[in-house]
Amino acid sequence: MKRRRKTRVRFEESNQSATTTAEFSFSLTKIAVSQICRSVGYKAADSSAVNTLTLITTKFLQSLAGLASSFSNRANRTEINLFDIVNALQDISLSTSDWFPGGSTVHDTESNCLIKSGVLRNLSDFVTYAPEIPFAKPLPKQEIDGSSGRDMPRIPLTRSPEMNSVPAWLPPFPDSSLYSERCTEVRSDQLWENSDSVICRETLPENSKSEKSRDRSGGRLPLSRVKVRFKIERDCGDTILERWRDKNDGESGRDVEVKKKIIEEYIDNACIVAGEWRI
Amino acid sequence: MNHGQQSGEAKHDDDAALTEFLASLMDYTPTIPDDLVEHYLAKSGFQCPDVRLIRLVAVATQKFVADVASDALQHCKARPAPVVKDKKQQKDKRLILTMEDLSKALREYGVNVKHPEYFADSPSTGMDPAARDE
Repeated sequence: MKRRRKTRVRFEESNQSATTTAEFSFSLTKIAVSQICRSVGYKAADSSAVNTLTLITTKFLQSLAGLASSFSNRANRTEINLFDIVNALQDISLSTSDWFPGGSTVHDTESNCLIKSGVLRNLSDFVTYAPEIPFAKPLPKQEIDGSSGRDMPRIPLTRSPEMNSVPAWLPPFPDSSLYSERCTEVRSDQLWENSDSVICRETLPENSKSEKSRDRSGGRLPLSRVKVRFKIERDCGDTILERWRDKNDGESGRDVEVKKKIIEEYIDNACIVAGEWRI
Repeated sequence: MNHGQQSGEAKHDDDAALTEFLASLMDYTPTIPDDLVEHYLAKSGFQCPDVRLIRLVAVATQKFVADVASDALQHCKARPAPVVKDKKQQKDKRLILTMEDLSKALREYGVNVKHPEYFADSPSTGMDPAARDE
């Protein structure tokens, strides 16, 4: 009896729904690892072997990231650049004895040219000659949030170019309408000396009152306004003067006369200014 | 003087090669998706807005896995074939990734994988690889 060969490839994805982020990412990595194994020439794989290789892949990624971030932190940076990654790759290639020939040769530090690193050259050759195997399925755009970020509002993925300096892990800014107006007001002022914050302190009470009315009416004065009269009693000025006289008995009468004149002038001016005033 | 010029030219060539390599990463699609790599990198405090560097990490990982798998494949091929009468069957030896080959390959990369000798993770464990699925 002739046996029929089965050419079925046993790289099957489990249909179990991933519950947590860790399981989801692990199952995605498993698919990628399976694809790489198939590209190498394998027709099938034991599930335990694939799981082990997947686990080692994730550990590799995390250790590489940890090394690169430690390199960048040592240089007082938060963002990682190419130098950090190449240094991390060098370290990993030293620790894994057989990975990447030329890994033990440190790149030329004098010329600061990273392509002289054996590791990077190997990767460059790999990109040039290895066939491109894209991931089997496009990833769903919406992330499955498992452990982190549930209580936070969903952050818009696109940030304005002004916000590029803000790290992505910080909570989002409040709505721009809350602060953009104030910013534009400040910017429109030419000089700080002319800004309201400086002038307001030295304004007379009448100015502040008129400002209040301006605020209420939105900066426009009404056409018909009610007349308001003020009357300042002279008695009050005299009593103050008398009290002042009692305190300064030793002072000459001429000085007292001059000061009395000044106070009277002040009161007259106040009457003129506050006599008729439109609100 | 002449030597300085030569080294300057060599440096220029190296810079051009590096720029070309980084530019080629923009067009290259690694098997491990960018988002997945980014997720694992973020877990270890890796923060980088540049897609090319993330792809570089993805390519490095892909090369690592491919190297391990091809080493394991060599172990699989080098294993003495079981004695079978049917020559045709021997020729069509199935290539299956097993823990035995994988642990041998990983040992060369400094990873010691220990697995139980008689752990039956599938009904066909312990059977002759050529006789599986038949």
